[in-house]
Formats: sequence, structure tokens, C-alpha cells
Amino acid sequence: MMENKTKTACETCTHFNADGLKKLGVKTEDFDFILALAGNPNTGKSTVFNALTGLRQHTGNWPGKTVTRAEGAYVYNNQKYKLVDLPGTYSLLSTSEDEEVARDFILFGKPTVTIIVVDASRLERNLNLVLQILEITGKAVLCLNLMDEADRNNIKIDTRILAKDLGIPVVPTSARFQKGIPELIQTISELANGKIQCKPHRIKNIPKNIEKSVNELSETIEKEFPNISNSRWIAFRLLEGDTQIIEALKSGKFVSNEY
Amino acid sequence: MNYNPITALVLFFGISLLLFFVFRPKKGVFFFFKNLYRQKDKTIIEDILKFLYHNQESNNSITTNALTNALHFSNTLIIESLNKMIDRDLIFLEKDSYKLTPKGSEYALQIIRAHRLWEKYLSEKTGLKKTEWHERAEQKEHELNTSEINKLSSLLGNPIYDPHGDPIPTSKGKIALKKGIPLSSLKENTMGRIIHIEDEPKIIYKQILAENIHLYSTIKVIENNTTRIVFHAEGEQFILAPIVAGNITVSVLHKEEIHEENIARLSSLQLHKKAIIVGLSKECRGENRRRLLDLGFVKGAKIEIDLLNPLGDPKAYLIKGTAIALRKDQAAKILIKKCDDGK
Amino acid sequence: MNTKNIENIIALAEDLRWQIGDDFHDNLAESIYTDAAKIVEDSVTKDNQKSKFRLDAKIDKIVTSRIWGFPIMLLILSVVLWLTIVGANYPSSMLSALLLDTVHPFLKNLGTNIGFPWWLNGFLFDGVYLAVAWVIAVMLPPMAIFFPLFTLLEDFGYLPRVAFNMDSLFKKSGAHGKQALTMSMGFGCNAAGVVATRIIDSPRERLIAIITNNFSLCNGRWPTQILLATLFIGAVVPQSLSSFASLTAVIGIAVLGIFFMFFFSWGLSKTLLKGEISTFNLELPPYRPPVFWKTIYTSLIDRTLIVLWRAIVFAAPAGAVIWLISNISIGNESIAAWSIHALDGFGFLLGLNGVILVAYIVAIPANEIVIPTILMLTVMVTGIHAGAGDGVLFELNSVTATADILKAGGWTLLTAVNVMLFSLLHNPCSTTIYTIYKETNSLKWTLVATILPIITGFIVTFLIAQIWRILV
Repeated sequence: MMENKTKTACETCTHFNADGLKKLGVKTEDFDFILALAGNPNTGKSTVFNALTGLRQHTGNWPGKTVTRAEGAYVYNNQKYKLVDLPGTYSLLSTSEDEEVARDFILFGKPTVTIIVVDASRLERNLNLVLQILEITGKAVLCLNLMDEADRNNIKIDTRILAKDLGIPVVPTSARFQKGIPELIQTISELANGKIQCKPHRIKNIPKNIEKSVNELSETIEKEFPNISNSRWIAFRLLEGDTQIIEALKSGKFVSNEY
Repeated sequence: MNYNPITALVLFFGISLLLFFVFRPKKGVFFFFKNLYRQKDKTIIEDILKFLYHNQESNNSITTNALTNALHFSNTLIIESLNKMIDRDLIFLEKDSYKLTPKGSEYALQIIRAHRLWEKYLSEKTGLKKTEWHERAEQKEHELNTSEINKLSSLLGNPIYDPHGDPIPTSKGKIALKKGIPLSSLKENTMGRIIHIEDEPKIIYKQILAENIHLYSTIKVIENNTTRIVFHAEGEQFILAPIVAGNITVSVLHKEEIHEENIARLSSLQLHKKAIIVGLSKECRGENRRRLLDLGFVKGAKIEIDLLNPLGDPKAYLIKGTAIALRKDQAAKILIKKCDDGK
Repeated sequence: MNTKNIENIIALAEDLRWQIGDDFHDNLAESIYTDAAKIVEDSVTKDNQKSKFRLDAKIDKIVTSRIWGFPIMLLILSVVLWLTIVGANYPSSMLSALLLDTVHPFLKNLGTNIGFPWWLNGFLFDGVYLAVAWVIAVMLPPMAIFFPLFTLLEDFGYLPRVAFNMDSLFKKSGAHGKQALTMSMGFGCNAAGVVATRIIDSPRERLIAIITNNFSLCNGRWPTQILLATLFIGAVVPQSLSSFASLTAVIGIAVLGIFFMFFFSWGLSKTLLKGEISTFNLELPPYRPPVFWKTIYTSLIDRTLIVLWRAIVFAAPAGAVIWLISNISIGNESIAAWSIHALDGFGFLLGLNGVILVAYIVAIPANEIVIPTILMLTVMVTGIHAGAGDGVLFELNSVTATADILKAGGWTLLTAVNVMLFSLLHNPCSTTIYTIYKETNSLKWTLVATILPIITGFIVTFLIAQIWRILV
């Protein structure tokens, strides 16, 4: 597995400890960390899931294959990680069922780390979801998957700049060929243990009058919930009139939500 | 077994016919009885209020006759209701003509609010066709109470306009003003923006819908005479009869406001030509609109045709590195600016 | 937490919403994409000349071309179906030789030797075991061939192109192009077809696809069609044409199913489902060479075994019921005989008979066991010598012997034609019904999907029977 390693911009990945990895399949009880796996449809998200857990969930070349959540686990350096594969979505802004499942898990399921799988050859489209997730949670790693296809299409990505712009670690992978998975595991472990600090990107370029409203609202929210890190995102949702978020506010779901 | 297959067939068709007459949509016996049980007098009172409200600007005198002709209720019922309404201080008589009292006009506005909010709801949250919105709202407006209406309004984000471009009164009875003129009186070579498409009468509305004329599109009148009105909008040419054009309201645009030259619909894009998306038409609503935005059909995005279809529709468009197929009616609601050749 | 403060937050939000108008979502989406474009500009360099992979474009040109698009689709579908039907024969007969002819007698002997009373022996091995074994033997091989083939096409990326090509046909009946695929999947197994409707992301079109999937003639019904067409329709034409006539009849039934699928899709989208939200977008993903063995493995686990497991779960109690109603008597008649006589009149009206209706009721778990049940029940009520006793399913290798039993049961050409139609137009099997419930989470739509085809079946067979009797 180590021979297949791709070149990576992640400096910490050289410390990958192959002997410390054990794939556990569906045995997900008594975990130390919980990981969410998010991403656009058809980015090889399920392949990453399978590569991490040793499971063999079916991965079709179809947008939107996983509708229900799949779960799996692995052990790395004596710490147990439970991995939840979320439905592939283009966004978290609409109200379709799969988007709700994905969003609710990232928001309320309190994943220690969110792994965002993107298609390297279609980065711009995928960043739509990435930027939304970064408004919700800062502890995330970008899994730049399908690097082989990007290469085939003569697309070159400077992962250092990308990581700097997004404020989270970026790991290039080709999950189908098991490339980059060790680095991913190592990065996740460092994130989970607080060895990497993230400074997630915030959505800019919002028209002034809207930005003003968002700020006013998110400040009010922060006053009520001082521990919350994603008040801005909640403000987005309230301005959109998301009835579920309103209900969640009323029922106090956000109180226990500390990052 | 002893039976006659012909008898069996006759019986079968007899029963089918019976069921058809009982459950026939709108005209069937079932619906007749269902309608009978609805709150008749409330409906009549509210319909009279609406009628008076819509006609109060026209200065026509609204006599009892005018009302009995306009509304589809029995004359005795209408006269009874009118008396009740005078008792309840909703209307008063002025020289044979009925007028709204302030209380009546407030009531009327709430009915209109319910109607327009419900149309907005149907347009955003259901897949019903445009032609069905009005009729359903006509019924629903009598069924909603104030707190339900307010809930509906906040669910929809307190919208200001209904899907036809009509302003929705607020719960306090405020209503946004609309200044516009009928398209039929827009002069040749002037420009305007469509701000309202009237959904009644249905026959004319259906004609407008069949033409695929979009709300809030900028138009330029090319020809205007007694037989026809020709105008350009979103890169397409439309020809309407004056009576049809009269049901479209436009606001006149002055030269300074105009910066929407060269706009076309994505459906008119040709193979191997490139374009930039200018925005989504207001006619693209609800879930469809959110999906398209999520997929990257946003202002400034480059777009071109990726694949044609053996049957003509849908076409696959290349946007932000991915081929996404859209049907023609969807592509018509995406506005583009075609790039010049060579760029 | 203070409820009043939260109310204030919500009130403030509503106030601000009113101020910024209804373009918020548009603005936010645009902002995010503007940010995304900036980031990409910083970090990505690409050679625009070759940005679209050329082989992909070439394949796309061919599979969506006016001339080749449809022939390629038909060819692939026929090859898949042919491989399934022909390829399943051999393993199927091996499995049935093993499970039905070897293990079944062995188990019965074992039961007798241990000292089971006859009824326990019969109930367990003739009832439960036999039904389960039958379903496995008939169902497993075709599904184990069909699904992996389908999955390979799926993983390669061809199927979205089929949906793309077919969309305008489906749009006319208010459906989604992807329904072409769930429909094709239904030719393998309706339950799997229903699960596959997940790829349709528009609520209305997905419901349409779920409700009409049963009109795809599934694997379990192909053998019934082929058998009856050979026995009855092949027999009325000259010998030289008989196989051609029976083949045409079977294909005709499948095509009729497609017709009904379109018809009801159209009807549903105009009536019951017109209020459901309807959207359309279809992503055409790049082609990817499938990882062959992994695909085979996962599709076996994911699709074949899950569906098979569900079928077995339902088949076991059905086997028990079939055995029990044939062996428990009320007065001097078994329950089966009694219900057959009770339904004979209604059955006759439809050009069928009581045996067929009872068989369709008790064999609801799997269409595969309808013919064996019909044979067993026919033998039971007519009292001719065949099979292995009341409640014991059987099938004969000899075609003429099967025809003889059915004719002794009063079958005519009309009966055969109507059974073929009824086999297409009746309620989905219980596995599919259960799957529909799981997928829609709604009793209402499950009920619609169940009742719609059977009412259609009643009407169609009734009309055919009357017209037949008037004309013939």
C-alpha cells in the first residue's frame, strides 16, 4: 500500500503508521471519534468509504446512489473511528430528503471530523458544497479524489494554495486505486487529536445589504448561544426561512451543540 | 355456466358510466354534494367583498343586478347576503351602488391576501400547473383563518408579490403599489418590463401561457396596431392579439434603466456557441430554481451545449465542467448572453 | 436558553427577510460560486485544449446519435435479457435437481426416520421447505446474471445516456427519462426496480416510477408466459410457425406491459400525483472503466442476495399456507377446494377459474411458484394422478403432460390468454409490495401500487372473456 503513495502537499503524512491500521467493517460500537463523509454525488465518496472501512458498499456511476446512511469503522493507532457515509448532495441549501439527512448529521451528529470528498477534475462545482460545509463545521479535511481523472484531463491542482484558501488540510487521493488513503487516515487522526488547527473559509462576496442582515442576525444568535461556532450559517438558514432550523432553535437542539 | 356475455358487458358499461357521472371532476354528483356542504354564506360574502374591492377603482356603479350577473350564486342567496353585510357594517348603499366600508375593505384585503399567498404556496411548494393555481386559491381563500394565513406567509418568507406579479397585502392591510399600463397601450419602439400577467379569464391566460411569455422579462414593442402587437423579449419574438396583450401589465422603462440588451434564452443557444448566464427567469420557481442554482446555473457561469439528443430534447449543457441535461422548458427559463464568435 | 430570546431571534429573522426580499437564495448561491471560482483560479491550472476527455466525447457522440443511439440501446437490452434467460437455464435446472429432487426426498425420509408425525413432516418439508427451495432455484440464477450485467453498464456510465436518449418519450407521459432504467430493471425484478427508483430525484416522477414498475414483466413471470404461449398459442398455428407464434405472444405481453406503464404514468401525473413537486436534471457522468470482479461481487451482495432474502422470508409462510389449505378440511372439503369452488364463478366471469385465482392469492410472495401451485391445485380438484400429493408443489418436465393436466382442469385457449394477461396485470408480489412501502413510507401509495394493476387485470380479462364468448 505504501508503494502506491502519491506525492502529497500534506507535510505530516509521512508519518503514516501502516501497522496501526485495522479495518473493522460494520463493527461500529465503542468508538473514540466519529467521522462524517460528505461530498457531491458521483465523486467516489463510497469508494473512499470502502477504502477506509474495508467494506464493499456498492458504488454506482450514478449521481445520488447512497440515499440512506451507511456506517463503518476502522482503528488507527489504537483509536477507533466510526465513519458515517452521508448521501451525496450538490448543496445543503435545498430541502430534499437526502440533503436534510446530510445536513442534520453534520449539524447535530457532532462528527469529530468531516471528510469532504470532491472530484478533482470538477473542483469548482464541488466547492459549492465544501464552502457550505465549512460554514457549519471547521473541523474538516478535503479529500481531493479522482486525481487520476484530473491527470487524464490535464488538470493540475496546487494543493498548498487550495489548503490555504480553504483553511483546512487537503489530501489528494485516487480511492479506486487505493492511492492517498494512508495520508488521509493520518490527516484525520491529526485533526481528531487536535494536532492540526483549521481556519475555515467564510463565504465572501455577499451583497452588502444581505451581509449586513446576516451579521445582525448572527450577532443576536451568538448572544443567546455563546458556544456556537456556526451562528452565521444559522443566520443564513433563518433568512432562508428553513422551518427545521427554526424548530431546532425552539426545541433547544443547538444548546448541546458545542465545538 | 348459464349467462349471457352481452348482458355482462352491458352491466359492466352501465356501472362504469354511473361511476363516471358520480365522480366526474367538477361536474359529478359527488362534487355537487361536496360543494353543497361547504360554507355557502361565508363564501358568498367574501366573494362579494372581493368583487367590490376589485371594482372600486373603476367608478362603475355596482348594483344588485351587476352582482347577481357576476357571481355564480342564486339571486336570493346574494340578496340575503347583501342584507347581512349591511347589518355587519361591511358595505353600504350609495345611490343603488354598493360600496365597501373601511371594515369591509380590510376584510376584502385579507381574502385577497389569503388568495395570493395560497397561489404563491402552490407555485413554490407543489408541482401543480399554473392554470390550476387560481381555481384552487379561489376555494382555499375561504377556508384559511387569520393565524393560518400568517403561518403560511412566514413559511413562504413573507413574500411581497404573488406568482402573477400581484402584490400581496400584509397582515396589517398594507399593499405595495403597482404602477403599470396594459401591454396593448405600450407604444412602438418603447421598452417595458412585464410586471403582471392576469390569470382571469382562463381562456386568455392559457393563450399567454402557451406563448411562454415570462414575468419580469424586459420587452420591446416592434409593432402595435388594432390587429396585433409584436414585441421582442429575451431574444424571442412574440405576436399577440390586443385583447390578449391587454391582460399583461408592463411598467414603462426609460432609456437609462435599460442595460439588458442581447439577452436570450438558453433554449436558443446553438451547438458550438458559447454563452454566459445572466440569471434565472422569475418563472423558474421553488425547488426547480434552487436545484438549478445548486447545480451551478448562476450569474456569470460559462455555458455551452455538450450533447444533442436523438429525439431533440433534452439537451446536455456543459456547465462548470459537468454535462447536465435540461429539458427545453427549463432551458427557456435560463437567461444568457451569447458570446461573440472568437471570444 | 430563553424561549423569549429565541422568539426574538426568529422575529428578527422574519423582519430581515422581508427587508432583503426573496432573492436571498439566489444571492447566496451566486456568492458561493463566486468564491469557488476565485479559489479555483488560485489553485487550479488546466490545459483548456484537452479539457474534455476525447474518448468520452466520441463515445457520447455515438451512443446518443440519431442513427445509432436507439439500435445500440435495444441491442444491449436484448443481449442482457437473452443472456439472463438462456444463461439461467443450466444453473436453474441444476439447483432444482439438487434442492427439489435430492434434498427434498432426503429431508422427508429424515423426518420419517426421526419419527415426525405425517403432518409435521408435510408442513415443514412439503410446505415451507419446498416453497423456499423453489423460489431459490427459479429466482437466484437469473438474478445472479441480470443484476451484475446491469451493474456493469451502470458503473461504466452508459445508463445515464439511456435516460438521456429516452427522456422525451417519458416526458410525454409525465415521467422521467431515468424511468427507462427502473423499468428495465423491473424486467429482472420489480422489487429491485422499485429500489432503483432512488436515482430519480424528483418526487412526482419517482412515485410514478414506483407505482408503474409492476407493469414490467419480471423474471418470475417470463417462464409462465413462455410455458403458456408454447402450450396453447403455439398449438393453434401450424407446426412450422408455432415457436414464432409463441415468441410473438410473449413479446407482445411484455410490450403491452410497457404500454400500460406509459398509460398509467400519464394518468397518474395528470390526476393523483399532479400536486407533487416535479423537477428535472440529469447529470451525465464521465465514463469509468468498471472494476469488473468488484462490481460482480458488490451487485451480488447488494441487489441479488437482498432481494432473494426478502423473497425467501415471504415464501416460507406462503409454503406453509399452501400446504395447510390443501390439507385442512372444513366438512369434507379442504380449505383450498372450498375457496376454489367459491371463486369459480368470479373466475369464470374473467375467463379464468377458481384454481387460478386461489393460486394467485396464495402465491403472492413470488410469481415463480404460481404455475406449480396451479398444477398442484388442479390435480387436487380434478383427482387425476400426478404430482406428489395435496399441498406438494410440482412441475413436469414434459410439456404435453403439463398441457394435459391443465386441459383436464378445464383450460381453453381463452384461459391461457387470460392467464398470460393476468400474470402481467395483477398485484405486485409481496416482496415488491413490502419494498414499495419501505421506499415510499406511505400506506396510500403502497395501496395504489397494489390495487391499480389488479383492477386493470380484472377489467382487461373480463372484457376479453366477454368479447371472446360473443365472437367464438
